[in-house]
Amino acid sequence: MGESLTPLHRLLVSAGYRPRIAAGPPRRLPILWLAGFIIALLLLLPVAYLLIRVLQADATTWTLIRSASTRATVLRTVALAGSVTAASILVAVPLAWLTVRTDLPLKRMWALLTALPMVIPSYVGAYLIVASLGPRGILAQIAEEVFGVRALPSIYGFPGALYVLTLLSFPYILLTVRAALQGIDPALEESSRSLGNGPWRTFWQVTLPQLRPAIASGSLLVALYVLRDFGAVSIMRYNTFTRVIYVQYKSAFDRASAAGLAIILVLLTLALLIAEVRTRSRASFERSATGGIRKASSVRLGRWRWPALLFCTGIVTISLIIPLSVLLYWLVRGLIAGETLQPLWQATGNSVFASAITAIVALLAAIPAVVLSVRRAGRWNQLPERLTYTAYALPGIVVALALVFFGANFAPALYQTLLMLILAYLILFLPQAVGSLQASLLQVPASLEEAARSMGRRPWTAFWQITFPLLRPGALAGMALVFLTTMKELPATLILSPYNFSTLATRVWSAVSEAFFAQAAAPALLLILTSSLPMAVILFRERA
Amino acid sequence: MAFKRVSTLIFLLPLTISACGIRFSSEQDADRLVVYSGRSESLVGPIIEQFEDTSGIRVDVRWGDTPELAATLLEEGANSPADVFFAQDPGGLGAVIDMLQPLPDEILDQVDVRFQDPHGRWVGISGRARTLVYNTSSLSQGDLPTDIWELTAPRWDGRVGWAPTNASFQTMVTAMRTVWGQEDTLRWLMAMQANHPIAYEKNTPIVAAVGAGEVDLGLVNHYYLYRFLQEEGEGFPARNYFLQGGGPGSLVMVAGAGILDTASNPELAEQFIDFLLSRVAQQYFATQTYEYPLVDGVVTARELPPLAELNAAEIDLADLADLQGTVALLREAGVLP
Amino acid sequence: MSPNALELRDVSKSFGSVEAVRDLSLQVAEGEILALVGPSGCGKTTLLRLIAGFETPDSGTITLGKKTVADGSTELPPEARGVGMVFQDYALFPHLTVAGNVGFGLDRVPAKARTETVAEKLALVGLQGYAERMPNELSGGERQRVALARALAPQPVIILLDEPFSNLDADRRITMREEVRGILKSVAATAILVTHDQEEALYFGDRLAVLKAGSLQQVDTPEGVFHKPLNVSVADFMGQTELVTGEVTPVGIHTEIGMVPQKIDLPPGTQVQLAVRADDVDIEPRSGAVAVIRERQFKGALNLYKVALPSGQILHSLQPHTLILPSGTAVEVKLEPGHPLACFHNGNAITAESAS
Repeated sequence: MGESLTPLHRLLVSAGYRPRIAAGPPRRLPILWLAGFIIALLLLLPVAYLLIRVLQADATTWTLIRSASTRATVLRTVALAGSVTAASILVAVPLAWLTVRTDLPLKRMWALLTALPMVIPSYVGAYLIVASLGPRGILAQIAEEVFGVRALPSIYGFPGALYVLTLLSFPYILLTVRAALQGIDPALEESSRSLGNGPWRTFWQVTLPQLRPAIASGSLLVALYVLRDFGAVSIMRYNTFTRVIYVQYKSAFDRASAAGLAIILVLLTLALLIAEVRTRSRASFERSATGGIRKASSVRLGRWRWPALLFCTGIVTISLIIPLSVLLYWLVRGLIAGETLQPLWQATGNSVFASAITAIVALLAAIPAVVLSVRRAGRWNQLPERLTYTAYALPGIVVALALVFFGANFAPALYQTLLMLILAYLILFLPQAVGSLQASLLQVPASLEEAARSMGRRPWTAFWQITFPLLRPGALAGMALVFLTTMKELPATLILSPYNFSTLATRVWSAVSEAFFAQAAAPALLLILTSSLPMAVILFRERA
Repeated sequence: MAFKRVSTLIFLLPLTISACGIRFSSEQDADRLVVYSGRSESLVGPIIEQFEDTSGIRVDVRWGDTPELAATLLEEGANSPADVFFAQDPGGLGAVIDMLQPLPDEILDQVDVRFQDPHGRWVGISGRARTLVYNTSSLSQGDLPTDIWELTAPRWDGRVGWAPTNASFQTMVTAMRTVWGQEDTLRWLMAMQANHPIAYEKNTPIVAAVGAGEVDLGLVNHYYLYRFLQEEGEGFPARNYFLQGGGPGSLVMVAGAGILDTASNPELAEQFIDFLLSRVAQQYFATQTYEYPLVDGVVTARELPPLAELNAAEIDLADLADLQGTVALLREAGVLP
Repeated sequence: MSPNALELRDVSKSFGSVEAVRDLSLQVAEGEILALVGPSGCGKTTLLRLIAGFETPDSGTITLGKKTVADGSTELPPEARGVGMVFQDYALFPHLTVAGNVGFGLDRVPAKARTETVAEKLALVGLQGYAERMPNELSGGERQRVALARALAPQPVIILLDEPFSNLDADRRITMREEVRGILKSVAATAILVTHDQEEALYFGDRLAVLKAGSLQQVDTPEGVFHKPLNVSVADFMGQTELVTGEVTPVGIHTEIGMVPQKIDLPPGTQVQLAVRADDVDIEPRSGAVAVIRERQFKGALNLYKVALPSGQILHSLQPHTLILPSGTAVEVKLEPGHPLACFHNGNAITAESAS
């Protein structure tokens, strides 16, 4: 049973305890069920909107959808998503292993630094990488001055998109795999060693297969990130589906065609979700509930520590230090040129406030879907959790316009209030909270809640007093992820926020689009810094 | 105990959220104007603030990209809270033209008819010219073409940057269709495409790329360069070059504004547009954003050639409404995906 | 007889097409310990969860004390039933101390009284001084005792123990069950112990209830269930029983190992089955005998022999440790029970008339 119920992605806690399915008294079910389905229906608003728009489509749309160029776009998108995912695995799995299972010096620092690139918004990251590594970027200038190299190979197109997206999204896999590595029962590796397998063979035959669900779930997040990304692919000029959808809106003002294309994107997402479920093997990867969690001994790197350190340094340099250096360079250059920076207190406050509220609401909204899917048997109870993912790969502009349509025409009182904006964020980012919460709940035996019930607690009291505190690691991780992605969010923020509600992301956007680089650098740095804090909290809360 | 704190927090949340909802809820208020601005806050924020200060009218602005705001207006339909749409280009205004109301003559009369909707539903606020930006270390003025047809010559292979998804570029292509005709325009696009131009998302990165020497030449609007000169100093190795031959390559376009049919405060909206056409505001556009003022008696920035010298007078912006046709042509030429 | 603490009447529960509990009726008297025993999958855990309120019966009535907690119309939630539960994995709250766990069910009791009760219960289970420990700092047996103290603290109408000893190793299991039974008896608690281990059930229960495929097979004292199984499946389940087929004759039952002088009120020629245990079977080496020793298991004071009869039927025989016979020895097999053997016709027990 556990396999069919396991989360679509497991963040931070990956090796799940399979609980007994406790089918509670059916008369109390509807409240939970109702909550789960109301949330799921809210999340389906964008899909409903797309269907409404597609129904109004004329022949142009259908010609476009059937065209060879659309097919080529599908292939390009799939190729990019697949390559970014593969490259991310190649970067993330060794990093995870090095920072969890070896005696690498300064493990915690590396763990934090390698996770941080995910807080950089892709539109900023890609811009910075072009500025630093582009054909005439800072690096090329250095290369020219020092080595006399006149031109570096172009980074635009597929290679650039692959490069930028990999560097910005590999931490998703890093986080899930780190958690899985921490959860693996060391006895398995020990028994492999005692059966005569060397460390290398043990890694391939015992450790890696156990990491498979974690790699798959992290990969799903990476692939969906690629599907909905606009910033990096537009700067790198690679026509993925999302970029083509944007062109429909931007150039042709053709909402029906954009909707038709977006529906293809939803279908691609569904295919990915199914593929992710399929990659999970039938075997279960759990450790016994009562067995204490023993920590695996560290692998001694010996001489290998130098290449390992070089690898970590290299990744951190290109994914974090170079972009941050460019920002600092812009900032300092602007300050020297005598620019006065606009105060950012309010934008910072708005960003943090909206993101924190979204993180908390996402957690609350995730609970019914997750409890239903983990604690209740039956196909219908799995549905809300599944539905949370349907809009996950949609570009922000589609979700924003869907809420504009429904909000302006059916809920004018809520339209352009913070509540509406938070709903948009929720639709965009809820799966991140659902995933990590689900992974945590799978590790909390149902009997704990039953024990509380038998001692006189009502169901919700039992949940809040017993299960919820035990979910804290997963809840915090999910909230941190939602928080940092909300901090970066741009298209929905622009369209749906209350008036005069500027955030760090909108300030960066506003300044960069008019080439005020120094004015962009300060909010970008602040954005990265504020999003890093919860990241640091998650990593430092990991069991020592 | 820990869980008590957590549960307290959780139960307080809905309260907090609803409190925020109230704090930020939309208000209908008589002395308040809602502007959807496709022009960025960095550029027009100060002048809007000035309007608020002098008129005492509160302006709530939704900042965004022109096409996204147009799409938003279309989705909102009759329930749009917007009073004014201040767009980067006539294309965005054209997309929502059926939602705009005719402007009073007092406003329209201030601006040359070339720079307004023939039915008076929007009016140009500031002008910008299509131009070439070139890298001063690799090219001198003498190397530059006099006409954009020359860019299809082999010597420009791989050296030109353009932004085919950008509205200004597309308006230029529409102008080509009007002046040259459909066939010649397609021929130019195909020839350009064969010459491997580098595509950028919009004007700013083209100017940056030209400055960095990534491309030698870019097809842009004129005023972005001055931002770079301000930021990076006079040493920034890029300058504008206004095509001598005129034609669509030096088309003058406008950023414009219109009032929504459904505006709840049309009078305030008129007052706002009137202010944007006032000497103060026009002077601001001329000196701060390096655009062309559109009303008489306001001096153009000294860096710019006078508007009259730009040989673009024969093109009427009202003829440039057929964006759909342009997009179809760009697709046909393989320029757009 | 003391009043009933628990009464089930015609309780049924299905999961989809699987009938977990079928038309089950059962009473447990106050202060009584009932051992609910049966093979895995027989429905015993479902029955426990029905009583505790984690499942709703499809039909039937459940009464706890004087309160009807489940019938067609009412369905009291678990928290309103006053049932103490000890889980197989103990289900100690990992984020609460031992005192926090034990006091968890006493949230409506004033703090001072709660502290006293917690101390008292911890003393009862022999864990004074453990109050501030965390569950992960305890051994298996200690966790078990905390779970028991926690279940006892709110003074429940009944305590339900779900395979509580299955996570302990063999020697701890024996001492723990003695200890737990002693504690329950010392406070005169009513309890149901669910187990699949018949030996544990025989030791623990004042009465035994044998469950198979959702139906009660027999409810009786340990001795009654052991010696007078009501049907073949009870006999089979109660262990180390071989069923030997025989034929009714006027003088007794004729089997392949001879005549068992046990008269049965059935027409001669009827096929019946006798339940034979290892202590009922005697063996004696004799060359030419048709039964053969297959295996000897040394049990310390005793040897347990596995003997094959000509039909292929296997019997066990308990012999003193002094009798040592190698495998392959031909032996003569005699049935010398010294009491009537349980006898079944069509799977159901037949009362023996007399045994001489």
